[in-house]
Amino acid sequence: MMIDRHDLTRILFEDFHPLAVTVFYAIGYAAIGMFCWGTWIQIRKYRYGTAHAYTGTLLTRFRAMSASVISHRTIARRDHAAGAAHRLIFFGFALLFLGTSTITLEYDILKPLFGTRFWFGDFYLWFSLILDVAGVMLGLGLLYMMIRRGWIKPPKLNYARPDRVPTDPDYDRSNYRIEDWAFLWSLLLIAVTGFVLEAARLVWLEGRPSVWDYRWWSPMGAAFALIMKTGGMTAEAAGSLRSGLWWFHGLIALGFIALIPFSKVKHIFTASGSLMFRDPLAAQRLPRIPETQVNPGFQYITDLSWKQLLNLDACTKCGRCHEACPARATGAPLSPRDVILSLREFANSALASGTLPDKAELDIHGKSPGQVSMETLWSCRTCMACVEICPVAVEHVPIIVQMRRKLVEAGEMDPLLTKTLQTITKTGNSFGESKRKRGAWTKALPFPVKDARKEPVDVLWFVGDYASFDPRNQTVSQTFAGLLQEAGVDFGLLYDGESNAGNDIRRVGEEGLYEMLATANIDVMQKASFKTIVTTDPHTFNTIRNEYPDFGGAYEIQHYTTLLRDLLQSGALTVKYPLNRRVTFHDPCHLGRFNKGYDAPRDILKLIGCDLIDMKRCKANSFCCGAGGGRIWIPDPVGVEKPAQNRIREAAVIADLEVYVVSCPKDLTMFEDALKTTGNEGKFVVRELIELVREAVGAAPTPVSTPQAAVPA
Amino acid sequence: MSTKILVAVKQVAALDADFEIRADGKDVDADFLIRDLNEWDDFALEEAVKIKEAAAEGEVEVVVVSVGADEADEALRKCLAKGADRAIRVWDDAVAGSDSIAIARVLCAVSQRETPDLVFAGAQSSDHAFASTGIAIAGLLGWPHAAVVNQLTYLPAAKQAGVRRELEGGLLQTMQIDCPAVLTIQLGINTPRYASLRSIKQAAAKPLDTLGLADIGLSATEVGESGSLSRVRRMYIPEKGRAQMIEGSAAEQAAQLAAIIKEYKGEAA
Repeated sequence: MMIDRHDLTRILFEDFHPLAVTVFYAIGYAAIGMFCWGTWIQIRKYRYGTAHAYTGTLLTRFRAMSASVISHRTIARRDHAAGAAHRLIFFGFALLFLGTSTITLEYDILKPLFGTRFWFGDFYLWFSLILDVAGVMLGLGLLYMMIRRGWIKPPKLNYARPDRVPTDPDYDRSNYRIEDWAFLWSLLLIAVTGFVLEAARLVWLEGRPSVWDYRWWSPMGAAFALIMKTGGMTAEAAGSLRSGLWWFHGLIALGFIALIPFSKVKHIFTASGSLMFRDPLAAQRLPRIPETQVNPGFQYITDLSWKQLLNLDACTKCGRCHEACPARATGAPLSPRDVILSLREFANSALASGTLPDKAELDIHGKSPGQVSMETLWSCRTCMACVEICPVAVEHVPIIVQMRRKLVEAGEMDPLLTKTLQTITKTGNSFGESKRKRGAWTKALPFPVKDARKEPVDVLWFVGDYASFDPRNQTVSQTFAGLLQEAGVDFGLLYDGESNAGNDIRRVGEEGLYEMLATANIDVMQKASFKTIVTTDPHTFNTIRNEYPDFGGAYEIQHYTTLLRDLLQSGALTVKYPLNRRVTFHDPCHLGRFNKGYDAPRDILKLIGCDLIDMKRCKANSFCCGAGGGRIWIPDPVGVEKPAQNRIREAAVIADLEVYVVSCPKDLTMFEDALKTTGNEGKFVVRELIELVREAVGAAPTPVSTPQAAVPA
Repeated sequence: MSTKILVAVKQVAALDADFEIRADGKDVDADFLIRDLNEWDDFALEEAVKIKEAAAEGEVEVVVVSVGADEADEALRKCLAKGADRAIRVWDDAVAGSDSIAIARVLCAVSQRETPDLVFAGAQSSDHAFASTGIAIAGLLGWPHAAVVNQLTYLPAAKQAGVRRELEGGLLQTMQIDCPAVLTIQLGINTPRYASLRSIKQAAAKPLDTLGLADIGLSATEVGESGSLSRVRRMYIPEKGRAQMIEGSAAEQAAQLAAIIKEYKGEAA
């Protein structure tokens, strides 16, 4: 029997009373209406935020966002299983959505308006096959997510808050758990009822060859139909099952759409939006305070930009930042996730209506529900682990620093930090040493070091506070100077013209002091003649590289690791004694995550013959030493594991480890201390990479008996 | 504005590394001085600002005053950033060389012009450490005073203030004092706030008046060396005694010690 191609399609409202069809459309429009209304409420909320300036065009940003979403690159990182499951759900859902839209396109638009039809024949057959596959993908993805939440229970999905105690009113976030499960179950129900509905339709219409003979084009439906028929279901019974289930399936699907803007489902849009407005230098280059702004930083929820308010809604509580945060890992009252969720809850309650409440009800500082406490804000090391791993481009660090700016303005900070800021204001360095002593470490060198303010040099070495004043780091500076000298590098210093570069001051939130330091340094550098800058300090490296341009100081700067690598590769320095040592390397936050300088130090280790065993948390996932964001000036609580100790313990499990290699002055201080306090002294040593290069290149020539002082009078 | 507190502050000098004495031998070469607001004055100002903040808006006015050349503006702006309402700087080249009594004479004249309810001063300054300026102001004004105050209870417009003073040997003394009065404030009475660099910049918008001697009714002879009861003769770094660690075994140490004693006595080793 010949079957007309036009009959190869799916019945839609067959046997429906016209009133029933009308009721269905009414419900459909109501669902869409609710979706639109909910969307408007969200948009109205974002509109309370301040302006946000972004670079590039919307088109390029949209393309970059689409690439991230389609590739699932950010979602699969550090959790491949969840990434794969999300991929199944995403593509399954997307295909089913597109499929359903195709029906609407023909049935409600093209056919009534132009009489055009395409949803039949081969198109229809492929359509039903693809949608069945999509349904299976969706179901499998959801099942894995349920197993993950119900049985695997990764710690990062635990919503317990480190910044609250169980007696606090907002300690419990179990409402989120109800929503998580409702989300999974409703989608799964839509998928499963879809298949059963398909099967019921097949059994009901088994008499029609155009339906029954082609049933295996919808394999899941056909399989379910086989089960029904084996169980003895008649066509009639299947028909009544179909009419009941049809409404059930339709209503949850429409309900789901209606609730998108009010539930976590909205991450489909908010996460995409957040990714689209991602700032690749969010933590590396903090925002300036506009001249016109009287009160610095964020005090009210309306001080956040619309993009940051969108960030809050993009969070899916995946817990990756919670897992990566070194403060959280060592018991500090901070989880980047909870900062975002608190602010989100705050925004949702304070900005829900068309009119703003009183200023007092918009204050995001404090301990009430939705507010963020100063203890939480001061726990942050601005190590960027949260920003780096967030799959939806939530940018926590600028929000935290902006909130700290307000705390600094109000003087709400640790007394020792206050003292340090005053010291830096007075002397330009955090050690409270005289400016004149900045270059004193060069006196012990057997050769003079040029003053770049007085004579031109190729390379200006911006030394930084720790490398200038800390006695242990001074020896590293002397070693590095020796290497530069031997390699024939024409270099010089700014001596007492140099001030603290300001990276950590800015991350503390003392923007005025940062501006003073940055402009003072830029003024001095403008007067010096040099081609490039080098520094041994990754913090200095970051701020000069990424932030000084905003203050009129655009320079070419490299961290010493790239310079030393060049010198070793070009033969300016030759390895005479390969070290043959088993080492591990700690990526400094400001060199690694901040500036992607992962390779140079590893290349050097290879060149000098070291056997590098990376720790599990390395490169982008490197664990902070705990000193960043000004935390080096704030005492850590006593009796609690410090981040540096946690890190040394991680290294200590490497069998036969000889050297823990660092490439940052603060790291040297933090880890030599942690080596002792964790009882690992004698098992392995902490060394600056510079010191290993010195050893491999061979000892410096013996210093002449009377060192020539090179310090300016 | 019913109550006014006048806080006398000083921009003190701290020594930089490897400083040098001025050619006339009477002071440190100014190039080697790092200047900052006197620490005690920071506490005195904080105490005044706390009283202001606890009162209704506009009920208390805090005025800071300093005697010093241009560079003292920096210390005054810091005070303005921390909450003082306005600042006064008094200077005339004739003031140079004043001792603490002559400085007090200037501050007394400013007090008579401002008629405050309370005058606060730091218990001492970290550079000269006479601890007398505040008390001298009280003497010149003929007002009651309390020195080294480490706790204060005062309500704006009150006739009396309750103070607790720190005495030697860990003793404390509490007393009531009639206002107007002069109090010199001890460290630790409160926690001075941090003045952010931005707030110091913004404080440039607050009034800072510069007065000369004529403005406060003093003549050049009442200040400077001629108006002072004491004069600096010389400032110098005392010669350091020699210290040496004697190392080695007990017998070696004893032998070395004996040799040193003999050397001092002029005996041959």
